[in-house]
Amino acid sequence: MGVLLPMLVLGPLGGAVLLALLPARIRPWLTVGLAAALGAAVVVLVGVVAVGGVVHYQVAGWAPPLGIELLVDPFSAAMLAMTAGVSLPVLIYATGTELVRGHEAFWPLVMMLWSGLNAVYVTADLFNAYVALELMGLSAVALVILGGSSAWRAGLRYLFIAVLGSLLYLLGVALIYGQTGTLDMVGAGEVLTSGTYAFTALVMITAGMALKTALFPMHTWLPAAHAAAPSAVSPLLSALVIKASLYLLIRIWFTVFGGAAPTGLPTALGVLGCAAVVWGNVVALRQDRLKAVVSYSTVAQVGYFFLLFAYLAPALDAPAGSTQEQVALAAWTGVLVLVFSHALAKAAMFMAAGVLAIAHRSDNLNDQVGAVNRMPGTVLAFAAAGVVLAGLPPTMGFMGKWQLLQASMVGGQWWWLAVLLGGGLLTLGYTARVVRATFDRPGHAGRDQPRVVPVRMPAMSLMLTVTAVVLGFLTLPVAQFLEPVLPAGALP
Amino acid sequence: MTHGDVFGLLAAGLVVLAVVRLLTAGDLVRRVIALNIASGGVLMVLVLVAAHSEPPDSVLHALALTGIVITVSVTGLALVLIRRIESPEHGEQPHDNEVPPDADHDDGPHDEHIQGAHGGGP
Amino acid sequence: MSEAAGVFDVVMVLGLLAVAAVALFHPRRLTAAAMFLVFGVLLAVVWAWLGAPDVAIAEAVLGAGVTGVLVMNAVTGNPMTAEETDRGRGRVTVRGYMLVAGILAAAVAVGLIGVLWDLAPATGTGTLVDRNVADSGVSHPVTAVLLNFRNYDTLLEIAVLAAAAVGALALRPPGTRMPQLRHDSGPLGAMVRLVVPVLALVLGWLLVAGSTRPGGAFQAGALLAGALLMLYLAGIGPTRRLQRWTGPVLLLGLAVFLALAAGTAAIGGGWLVLDADWAGPVIVALEAVLMISIGTTLAVLLMTMDQINSAARGLPGVPAWYSAERSGAGAALQDGENDAR
Repeated sequence: MGVLLPMLVLGPLGGAVLLALLPARIRPWLTVGLAAALGAAVVVLVGVVAVGGVVHYQVAGWAPPLGIELLVDPFSAAMLAMTAGVSLPVLIYATGTELVRGHEAFWPLVMMLWSGLNAVYVTADLFNAYVALELMGLSAVALVILGGSSAWRAGLRYLFIAVLGSLLYLLGVALIYGQTGTLDMVGAGEVLTSGTYAFTALVMITAGMALKTALFPMHTWLPAAHAAAPSAVSPLLSALVIKASLYLLIRIWFTVFGGAAPTGLPTALGVLGCAAVVWGNVVALRQDRLKAVVSYSTVAQVGYFFLLFAYLAPALDAPAGSTQEQVALAAWTGVLVLVFSHALAKAAMFMAAGVLAIAHRSDNLNDQVGAVNRMPGTVLAFAAAGVVLAGLPPTMGFMGKWQLLQASMVGGQWWWLAVLLGGGLLTLGYTARVVRATFDRPGHAGRDQPRVVPVRMPAMSLMLTVTAVVLGFLTLPVAQFLEPVLPAGALP
Repeated sequence: MTHGDVFGLLAAGLVVLAVVRLLTAGDLVRRVIALNIASGGVLMVLVLVAAHSEPPDSVLHALALTGIVITVSVTGLALVLIRRIESPEHGEQPHDNEVPPDADHDDGPHDEHIQGAHGGGP
Repeated sequence: MSEAAGVFDVVMVLGLLAVAAVALFHPRRLTAAAMFLVFGVLLAVVWAWLGAPDVAIAEAVLGAGVTGVLVMNAVTGNPMTAEETDRGRGRVTVRGYMLVAGILAAAVAVGLIGVLWDLAPATGTGTLVDRNVADSGVSHPVTAVLLNFRNYDTLLEIAVLAAAAVGALALRPPGTRMPQLRHDSGPLGAMVRLVVPVLALVLGWLLVAGSTRPGGAFQAGALLAGALLMLYLAGIGPTRRLQRWTGPVLLLGLAVFLALAAGTAAIGGGWLVLDADWAGPVIVALEAVLMISIGTTLAVLLMTMDQINSAARGLPGVPAWYSAERSGAGAALQDGENDAR
């Protein structure tokens, strides 16, 4: 079964090479076909992991620390599934019109991006993760700049930030190797001892990954890049790309460092996370452009993800069955469910925003008047996605927040509660503002006939939103799937 | 001071100077230069760790080589992009994005930071 | 490593810091670019001094060589900005960021120095490499790591280069063609005609030498890029007519590497598993293909920069002297540059 793992990375790369050489006419549906095949492979893998636990593979036949090992546990499998689950609808959406792609190079680049993402999720080697991050990052930048002249500067800034983050990560890895003599994540975790040395490495890596995930206050590059990117690229960026650096950070913290961290760092991350939630939501409320609203929403949601470190690190050595362990479990499940629900909802939001922007030939909120009558499905998709992000029942977003609320209450950290609840309110605020902009306004002069948009585009958006809502009912099986990976427990 | 310490200081110095410059320079090509120098500093840490073994650890040398190639790739894309940004094209390319082009190059949505001529921050 | 620092060490360190400082802080772009070239060369010397010959050669040809050429082209190829001094951003922003950055940087520096001071030698993976080199198909440890033990990393690295190429090529303005400079019959052409064949020999040797000593696909690829660029600049060779082949040649390396992976997975011992019996020749063959891709990709990146310039020429509002770009290169460009394909 391990033989499948390299396929998840090399398959899309092969697809990318093909796509880059074939004429533009064939590319859209060939890509969708490849995506479907890849999705099927991921489903199989998730099934195997659900039954058997962990899947390994040693590439080139050499065992670590000499060679590179690939490892998929339930956490990685879930991330792989999330990536496939969002990419396929977005690719179908992208077949709708060239306007959301920017250039025919979209197709090979998207496959390279997917390859990079998968490469991050399957690797168990610290340096391999660096190369995978660079593949993912460079593809993402290339996709952003397809958006035309308005996207060039934002894309370049994104490039500088992404590479800076990777360099800081590499610095940390060099230090880890210096102490442990191995690049294998599991192997290093066994040998690494806490101390100033190890913590310096951890701080560097955390800084680098926080930069790449756009944690406040190092977030300004994100709204610029995600808003300027073509409309089929923005969903991939917000929903998928920033999750990869987050994933890697979690792996480093808990597999390699075992949750040990310099005092104050987990709390600092938590504080910055809260600041991100407040800041991102407030600024989103003040934006006049659709995609800017959605981009700042991402900045806010990233804040929730970083609460994980604040909850989890103190609770790791707790004895089984204690309240501290319950807090850890609830926080872990909650944040991961939020990560997945955000992926679905944010992709849906960006896709809906893209449809609205195409139809009205403008991104500006003032130009969306009357949309709710002409394209109710799209507006509904946007609104429902906002509800998921705000965490209203019975959506998946609610289940995630509920877990975090429980963790806060049991753990006695009341200030996180305020942030969680307040953030949800603000999210509803900017969602409502956007929806209100789509209503008819008396006295508003009739616009030109809006552009017709292929129906599969809003359909994909609606589908993802509905999934995010419906999956709220399935949170229990998802939580059970993820539980063995709780860092205090059975990571191999 | 030993051999290794001196170069360790150099590595730290290069990384620090270059990262500061990366974040604060206005000129785009300067930022590319800064990126390359920062990368050189990080690779120096790798090579210094490698030099602790006798003979030097070849795995780290291989990693450094990989790092150089990746940095060249990034630099290449960045410079082509900069050329496109700085090129005085009056016949503007047909705008591929569905959003109509703004009157000036705007760096994105409004943020509360005080924006300099080229936008602020990382 | 624990011997005392000598005069050479101190001189190198101070020199490198000084050169880097100029490259980073001097207001004039051209000076910064030139100093960056010097930095690359000095850095290569440092790598050699620290016992990393592979990295030294790679830095010299890729870091100083190719990157230096690209940066120089960026600064001089567009006369509108060559003299532009570094304007910096709004004053308050810059001072604020410099303060924060300065504090953080100082913290990093202190941390780094403290850490490197206490660095304890650990038995790294290097010893494992030396033990297994014999089974890898080559005798040079670094090549063994790159093309056998950790070849998955190298594959992804080639993919990174390909992604950069695809991204850069997508930036070409529609309706332009690959630039073709006029044939130079003067000293430049003569020099190129002398140097390129020698260069070809050297890079061929460097490619094959990688199996037994420092060298290999990346270094040879950079030299190939240099040779191609020399031919391009002297106007020798049918650059434009080869435009159709750009895509395939650029992706050839990645494609062959992937094919090898698929082959070993299907009928061999597993993904990218190279048996000791046939690993040697396969590695050299793979490196040859990679070299071609790397060399052409790097050369094409520079030519793309020129191609972007060509779109601006002749447009209303662009000053006449813009056409006379680089020592006659502008005037030397062939007619019909901007014809739609």
